[in-house]
Amino acid sequence: MHIIVENLAKAYGLLWALKDLNFALKPGEFVAILGPKGAGKTTLLRILAGLVSPTAGSVKLDGATLSDGATALRTKIGFLTPADHLYDNLTVSENLYFFTSLYHQQKNSHAIDQALQQVNLADRADEYAANLSSGMKCRLSIAKWQLLEPELLLLDEPYGVLDGGGVDVLEKFLQGQCAMGRIVVVASHHVSRVLKLSSRAVILNRGRLTFDEIKQQPWPNFDKAFGEFLPQGETWRS
Amino acid sequence: MALLRESYLLLWKDLLLELRRRESLLTMFFFGTLLLFVFHFSFDLAPERVAEMAPALLWLAFLFTGTLGLAQLFQPERENHCLDALLLSPLDRGALFLAKSCLNLVLMIVVEIVVIPLFWILFNLRSWNLLPQLFLVTLLGTIGFCVLGTITSAITLRARARELLLPLVLFPLMIPVILATIRCMENVLRTGEFGDAIPWLRLLLSFDVIFLTVGVLIFDRVIEN
Repeated sequence: MHIIVENLAKAYGLLWALKDLNFALKPGEFVAILGPKGAGKTTLLRILAGLVSPTAGSVKLDGATLSDGATALRTKIGFLTPADHLYDNLTVSENLYFFTSLYHQQKNSHAIDQALQQVNLADRADEYAANLSSGMKCRLSIAKWQLLEPELLLLDEPYGVLDGGGVDVLEKFLQGQCAMGRIVVVASHHVSRVLKLSSRAVILNRGRLTFDEIKQQPWPNFDKAFGEFLPQGETWRS
Repeated sequence: MALLRESYLLLWKDLLLELRRRESLLTMFFFGTLLLFVFHFSFDLAPERVAEMAPALLWLAFLFTGTLGLAQLFQPERENHCLDALLLSPLDRGALFLAKSCLNLVLMIVVEIVVIPLFWILFNLRSWNLLPQLFLVTLLGTIGFCVLGTITSAITLRARARELLLPLVLFPLMIPVILATIRCMENVLRTGEFGDAIPWLRLLLSFDVIFLTVGVLIFDRVIEN
């Protein structure tokens, strides 16, 4: 899948959350979206997911505009927000059954068990999602998207709720997605973690794209660009 | 077919959640019966006034209990941003409308099955033989209420004072349904048959069909904006 973002802008009332964004995403890319709070990271992810309509500009997925509301395109997009998008009063396996059916990919119980094993939740299959910790819910979301196999996977702050084991599960999953040619876009404040896996970094500040480069080692341009958001006197070294 | 399959899947999920939470059904049931007792102690329903009073009192109870159900209709979707999860999926938005309308219809029918006979018992009414016709009219009216209620519930979903806004938007739009249902019931109670109320019955049926179709067609715009 190829994604082209052209002149993208989003305004909430008089406030421009995003302005004049232009970039393209290629298959297999792992993009880190960084920036201070209120920079527009979540808004950008929600527009890419088709949950929010842009005020101006467009997002094209393989040439088709997302705002047309084409349902076929929606099967290709995944959006992982930790501890969200799960029904509390459905069990772990019922949640997976429901969402895979919703995507017309009804999985049998063996496939669901296997996905739960991969995220270390097999023994919780019959528990209500409400009884899971935030970290476990995040792992359940990983299992969900593992089953749904989207071509574009968007993640909003996935690291905040995960423990060490959960981070390993997530990183293994994301690396697997990129290896299969899928696009992964992660917005996070855990800069060193997300940069470790990413192939490219994008920095947003006050809704504008201030930095966009393929990863290098060393990476002086990134260090300089990201250093601007650090407290005075502190520096960043990739 | 995909629309019906998706509607069935969503309805299965909603009924499962309702069976586990029992919030809407219990609230509607208790509120409905409570209203009947209030009416019972407030009005003396003399036999000659049954035809003009009973339909209005019954529909007053259904409107209030139904509005309680509508206020809870999208509650599971509000928790954990599950509405986003549904909108993210390739789900036909019309299926969401159908499933939510059916859920509210099921809940209201369950309440009505208890409330209507209880009304007859409390007011010592003897026209039990008319209940099938009255149930039919009530069903058509309830379908209209649920269909329109689902649309307005979705419109007010993101509003800050949605519980206040919902009846303000819904009740004026419901006037044709309420009027037609009350007129039909009144005629059945007075004459024992639909007779002169057939045009009202047609209006009720047309209202249901039109808003059901409109709901399926426009629900994507309603829920996404």
